[in-house]
Order: sequence, then structure tokens, then C-alpha cells
Amino acid sequence: MRRLAIPLLGLVALCTFLAAGAPADEPPEIALVIEKNRFSPEEIRVKAGKPFLLVITNKDGAPEEFESRDLKIEKIIPAGKTVRLKMPALKRGTYGFVGEYHEKTAMGQIVAE
Amino acid sequence: MGATFVITLREAFEAALLLGIVYGYLDRIGAREQFRWVTLGGALGLAASLAMGLAVSFLSGPLLDAGPDVIGAAVMFLAAGLLTWHAWWMRQHSRAIKGQLEHRIDEARRAQRLWIVGLIAFTGVFREGAETVLFLWGVMAEATDAVGWGSVAGGVAGVGAAALLGWAVFRGGRRVSLARFFDATTALILFLAAGLFSAGVGRLEGLGLLPMSPQLWDTSWLLSDRSLVGSFLAGLLGYRARPSLFEALAYAAYLAGAAILLFRPRRPAAQVAVVGAGQRAARG
Repeated sequence: MRRLAIPLLGLVALCTFLAAGAPADEPPEIALVIEKNRFSPEEIRVKAGKPFLLVITNKDGAPEEFESRDLKIEKIIPAGKTVRLKMPALKRGTYGFVGEYHEKTAMGQIVAE
Repeated sequence: MGATFVITLREAFEAALLLGIVYGYLDRIGAREQFRWVTLGGALGLAASLAMGLAVSFLSGPLLDAGPDVIGAAVMFLAAGLLTWHAWWMRQHSRAIKGQLEHRIDEARRAQRLWIVGLIAFTGVFREGAETVLFLWGVMAEATDAVGWGSVAGGVAGVGAAALLGWAVFRGGRRVSLARFFDATTALILFLAAGLFSAGVGRLEGLGLLPMSPQLWDTSWLLSDRSLVGSFLAGLLGYRARPSLFEALAYAAYLAGAAILLFRPRRPAAQVAVVGAGQRAARG
């Protein structure tokens, strides 16, 4: 019985994993690109109350830090890399973000509605 | 140049402050020979920052997505815990002095594991170290003209200015009386730790490990925590222009808990025990 326990647990875990990964539950992906020290798009519209995945690609030759004081997120996006950020379900409202390393040019907002 | 100066000053300020405090602490308890713990901790913190900077630049996938954030949050809580522990020790020293028992400092020195101050130096440097390293690297990568190199100079000067401030804390600490030094640095450390603890809770909100709580107030029109003055207050006291409910609660709860731990009146029984220990030490 004990020998069976681990494979059985593994199977259960696998099923849970597959169920969790089913397309119906997958949060929508929203792309955000950093280029020439600016974000594109500078305004992201999302549905309030629905989690989403922010896929940030840094096309510049220098690292950038995606930072949002409103959302309590600080995330380094290395040069030429893509980072996938899980975003929580947001209440209606506007949430600002900046590229901390280029605050004067890199800024934008997420509007949840 | 000005912009990069403010950014690196902001990032390095907390680390410099902590280094100034722990070097000052060792100096004041007459343990200069233990400086190496702090130096080692700081150097390891710098090495870890460089390693982290390299790691995030070369990693990709899930490790890059979540790894650095989890480490970042863990470092904040670790630092807050270590600082509380250290404050508790300084409080013991402070009490020993007020009781005219200066020689007890020696005892305290032997009793406290001084490597803890080394760990404080490590967490202090590592907390914002990787960000500072990557930022400076980015500025250098972009420097192609005089303006670009001016930015590099600004960034380096920012780290230098932070180091000077840390040095000023160290020097200033030598001018005040020992009791005052312990009291002042204990208070400073508690506010620092409260800020770290509350920032850690905020980070957990951002990571989705805690639910998002509503924003409690917005004083960014009055004093943005990104400005020079605001950054200092953020580093020193944990000032936030737009704190969430949980961040504010964490800050208040930490301060209240630490105050109870450190400032509650000493029970007579405990006093007797300490005096007894002192007599034994004097006899032995």
C-alpha cells in the first residue's frame, strides 16, 4: 500500500495541475513592451475583478525596473528579456506604473473597469 | 546626472545607514577587532548582489518570473527580525549602563553573538544591492556620449554620498554618550525595521500572497516618497506616500510589539537575576 501511495499522490497532483492549467481558467495575457525607455502601450485596460498575466518584454539594451507603488510591485526586466507577471484581480480604478530606471520617460497606467 | 544621483542615493542610503550603525555599535562597545564581521557581511552582500544581478540577466522562465521577488520579500523579513534582535541587545546594554555597571558591556559582548551584526550588514547591502548594480550597469551600457557618462558619474556619486552619510552616522555616534548612543540607535533601528516589515507585507500583497488591501491615504501631493526628502524619510522611518491598509497596520503592529518587547518595565525578579549574574561575574 505504501508503495502505491507516492505514485497515487503524484497522479492526483498531475490531475490537479492539468485541471488548473485548463484553458478555461487561464488568465488572459496582456503584452507590455519596453522600447527606447518607454512603455508601449502606455495605457492598459483590463476587466476589474479578473486576474491577468502581464507579459513584459524589454527590447532595450539596458535593464529596466517595472515598478508600481499602487500595486506594490517592483520587478527587474533584464535587457532583451521577457518576464511574466501574475497580476491580481483589481478593483475599478487607475494604477500607475513607471520604469524606475527611466522615470521621466517610462510611465503608464493600468485602468481596471 | 541629477536623476541617477537621486536613484542610487535612494537605493544605497538604507545600507549605508545600517553599516554606520553596526560599525558604530562595535566601536562603542570596544569591539573594533570585530569590525571584520561587518566588513565580511557587507562584502558578501555585495557579492550576492552581483550574483543576483547576473542571475536575473541570464535566467529566464519561471525562475526569473518569481524567484527574485520571493528572495526580496524574504530578505526584508529577515532584516526586520535581525534588527529587532539587535535592538533588544542594545537595550540590555543601555540598561546595564544606567545601572552604573559599565563593565557589564564586556559580558554582553561575550554573550552576544557578534556575527549577527555581520548578518545585518549582509541583509542591508543585499536588499537593494542587485537593483543598484543592475541600474548602474544599465546606465553604463547606455553611456555613449558626455550626457551618458554624466549619468554614470551621477550614479556613482549617489552611492558615494550614501556612504558618506553612513560615515557621518558612525562619527556622530562617537560624540554622544554611550547611553545616548544605545537609545538613539535603538529607536532608529526600530523605525527602520518597522519600515522594512511593512514594505515586506506590501510586497506580499504585490505577489498575491496576501489579498490587496485598500489604499489608506495619499500624501504624494505633499511629499512624494520618490523625492529626495521623501526618500530619506522612506529609508529612515518607512514613510510611504500611499500606503495600503495592511502596510500601515503592519507598521503600527510592529512598532507596538517592539515597544512592548523592549520598553516594558523590568520586573523585580529579572533585576535580581541580572544583579546576581553580575556579582558572580565580579567574583569570578
